[in-house]
Amino acid sequence: MFLSIIGIFFVHSAGSYWSEVHYKGQMPFALKQAAYLIVGIVGAFIIQKASFIRSDGFWRGLYIVAILMLIGVLIPGIGVVRNGSQSWISLGFMNFQPAELAKIAVLGVLANSLANVKNSRMKMYIQSGLLLLLPIGFIMVQPDFGSAFVLVVAVFFLLFAAGLPFKFFLWIGMSGIIAFVLLIVSAPYRLVRIQAFLDPWNDPLGSGFQAIQSLLAIGPAGLFGFGYGNSRQKFLYLPEPQNDFIFSILLEESGFIGGFIIVLAFLTFFSTSFSMAARAKTRERQLMIIGFTSLLAVQTFLNMGVVTGLLPVTGVTLPFISYGGSSLVMTWGIIGIILNLAQETEKEGRR
Amino acid sequence: MAISKLKQIVRLRLIWIMIIFLFVLVLLKLVQLQFFQFDELTTKAKESWDRELPYASLRGNILDRNGEVIVGNKLAPTLFYMPSQNENPEQVAEEIGSLIGMEKSELLEQINKRAYLVKIAPKGKNISSELAMEIQDKNIKGLYAGVDYLRDYPYGNMLSRLIGFTGYDAQGLAGIEYQYDSILKGKSSAVRMFTDAKGVPLPHVDDGWKNGVKGNHVQLTVDLDIQQVVERELSQAMQKYEATQAIAIVMNPKNGEILALASAPNFNPSDYQEVDSTVYNRNLPVWMTFEPGSTFKIITLSAALEENVVDLQNDHFHDKGYTMVEGSRLRCWKRSGHGNQTFLEVVENSCNPGFIELGNRVGAEKLQEYIRNFGFGKSTGSGMAGESSGILFSKENFGPVEHATTSFGQGISVTPIQQVQAVAAAVNGGYLYKPFIVKNTIDGETNEILSSSEPEMKRQVISEETSAIVRDALEHVVAEGSGRNAYRDQLRIGGKTGTAQKVQNGRYMDGEYIVSFIGFAPADNPELIVYVAIDNPKHSTQFGGVIAAPIVGQILEDSLKTKGSGTQIEKEYRWGDVEQVRTPNLVGTKRKEITSYMYPFNIVWHGDGDEIISQLPKENGLIPLDGTIHVYTNK
Repeated sequence: MFLSIIGIFFVHSAGSYWSEVHYKGQMPFALKQAAYLIVGIVGAFIIQKASFIRSDGFWRGLYIVAILMLIGVLIPGIGVVRNGSQSWISLGFMNFQPAELAKIAVLGVLANSLANVKNSRMKMYIQSGLLLLLPIGFIMVQPDFGSAFVLVVAVFFLLFAAGLPFKFFLWIGMSGIIAFVLLIVSAPYRLVRIQAFLDPWNDPLGSGFQAIQSLLAIGPAGLFGFGYGNSRQKFLYLPEPQNDFIFSILLEESGFIGGFIIVLAFLTFFSTSFSMAARAKTRERQLMIIGFTSLLAVQTFLNMGVVTGLLPVTGVTLPFISYGGSSLVMTWGIIGIILNLAQETEKEGRR
Repeated sequence: MAISKLKQIVRLRLIWIMIIFLFVLVLLKLVQLQFFQFDELTTKAKESWDRELPYASLRGNILDRNGEVIVGNKLAPTLFYMPSQNENPEQVAEEIGSLIGMEKSELLEQINKRAYLVKIAPKGKNISSELAMEIQDKNIKGLYAGVDYLRDYPYGNMLSRLIGFTGYDAQGLAGIEYQYDSILKGKSSAVRMFTDAKGVPLPHVDDGWKNGVKGNHVQLTVDLDIQQVVERELSQAMQKYEATQAIAIVMNPKNGEILALASAPNFNPSDYQEVDSTVYNRNLPVWMTFEPGSTFKIITLSAALEENVVDLQNDHFHDKGYTMVEGSRLRCWKRSGHGNQTFLEVVENSCNPGFIELGNRVGAEKLQEYIRNFGFGKSTGSGMAGESSGILFSKENFGPVEHATTSFGQGISVTPIQQVQAVAAAVNGGYLYKPFIVKNTIDGETNEILSSSEPEMKRQVISEETSAIVRDALEHVVAEGSGRNAYRDQLRIGGKTGTAQKVQNGRYMDGEYIVSFIGFAPADNPELIVYVAIDNPKHSTQFGGVIAAPIVGQILEDSLKTKGSGTQIEKEYRWGDVEQVRTPNLVGTKRKEITSYMYPFNIVWHGDGDEIISQLPKENGLIPLDGTIHVYTNK
């Protein structure tokens, strides 16, 4: 637990540092990020203490709120369009991304329903399917495929943890491949993206631009990187350097060593969380911790995979580090929830 | 759903292992990128980090045959701006706007772009060096004066219709500039500034200078000394006769090198927008086609001599002023006719019926063959843009009338360059050389010659002997016939006049003529051949012998360095000419002796001595009968 917090703080301090660096002349970014950080940590502490987290009702309520917000964001006037996606709700002082809330809500509700031993297998399938597909549908409409993908993968991890048979995953995997092929056939631009992923140098200024610029940031950094603040790619070359591509800037400035430490810190955090899950007192708490940890892990991997060219370009933020209010606050919210559930186990264990 | 505690833990482990596996993948990928692809990606990134401040390349010069610069470059810097290096574009716009005469708002819009480098154009393009210095002194962040050049024309309008001009980015758009653009243009240089992403030069990487390649030079066969003479004469003629256009070509008949090429009116290549495209796109000496008129008779004459069907001295021809061909009356230019003449006189008088007779003697088939052998009806291949091929009668349409008119140069259409090519062959011993204008291309960096044009002899058209007779006949034309106005004392000139009515839409235009003269010198061994044509001259008899001949004479006199050998044919006196005599040699004679000679001239004495040591004009000079000789004594 202690290790995890150290790791988290290290990661986060690095995160706010980076965002400050990217916008030397534009302090508001770093300041805002720091403010969100405080909000996030304070929120985490509050959530950690809050006992209602453990109630089924809270999660059902949260789920309904999330669905309502997902609907709301699609209504012009409430939703704000940014970068071609209508994914934000403007709260005046900050923009809020309902999809972030939805991820937590879906995982919470699912974990609860999966933990319910009384349910038959059939009922569970239908329940899970409905609970997942409803918000996914809304998120796809925005569109925000990154969030949708993260959520779906995290849910599969959860379902796996819940003990669904391997046969189920095989079946899902097969249909997934079919759906994937159908998606590509239905929209040619996706094919272009795939091609760009397979050979980004083919069109360095067009479809392959982001991937290439990221690789150009990472590759030359070598073992030690260019040193703090010396990123060359951050200003014009990489899109959203403070956001989706922050990891490539981090790698550029601190080299392989930096990247290794960050990856290690994340792994330590996930391992700690999983070990907490293993010691969780009730089944639903265990599943919830697994779900939330998986969510963060999948999102982290997706981001790093995109940045290093393992995966095609998808707009997913890096937990803790990327700039962005709702992402950061939600990440810390998840920490709070995990800690809440974990502390509970420790207390009960001591008792 | 109920599963066993063990299974729960196993599943959790599996998830945990899977996630570790995924992140190990990320680390492996990092190893691949940062260690194995390190070099490759570093190279690529360096290319991408370059901030290049373009330095315009030096376009190659266009030179004359002696290396004189006809078209060069002058420094005219262009302003560049790197938006990322300055946080206050308003202030930049404020400071610079008025200097380069640009609205502040307009300038702000230009420099306030999310681009790494903005070229301030058009107002900031090619500003004067002084202004650039002034702006540099202000030391504005992110603002650079990049080296840029404008084409420089030390001789102004000269040769403009041949050399053409360049456009906004120094790309050749017409003439030699266009045709030889790939040779003339260089590769741009650049100052490489390694910058971090904010465009601030990096402290740990040196700036580099990326060398551009200078453009290569194009050296023409043109001799600027002769060109200047030609341009002067043409512009005088244009003014004097208020002509529509004028054309001149000077060529070396022995190898086809074009030494001067002029079209009037011409234009200033820096302000090409101000003239009509029909001016800058038409290099008249190769583009324009018209009825050659009498200059074409040289071809008929050459053919007749080569075929041995005439003896110029001994064969006679009676010109009654016209000839009937298939019921149409073809007139001589002299209505009353020239009467009884030798064929040499036919040539001297440029008598049309006489040439119809010559053409007849050669025969239709043969004459056409000669004409085509002399290069008519086909582009000369001079390599100048926009060259025409002219129009001849096709073999099927070559009836007796066409045969007759062709013999004296009517009914066909040729270019000036074709005429020069053909006449050069007629007088140089019979060798048809391809005219050419580009002598060498020269490396812009090392000044080494990259390629040279060698004279190209296409074929021998007539024999050396025939050519000698043609030369002699044409020298007679200048001394005794229609070309007398080209006569220059002490300079053996041969030549032929031409006067042709202009044709528009297949009809002769009333009162509009193109008068021309083609001359060469020295007549015994031609080194220069000069062709001049004046389109629609006014205020004068519209005859080539009157208008064009003296211009050719003048060009030859001023251009020729050698005078030739042998005895010149004495100019024939005609009524109205000023009577001239040769000056005697007075050097060495005493004051007293002179008076006893009773010369008709005025003698003006310079100096108080008794013996003459020098005189002007020199011995054998030509002066009017009552002219003046200046003599200089020994004291």
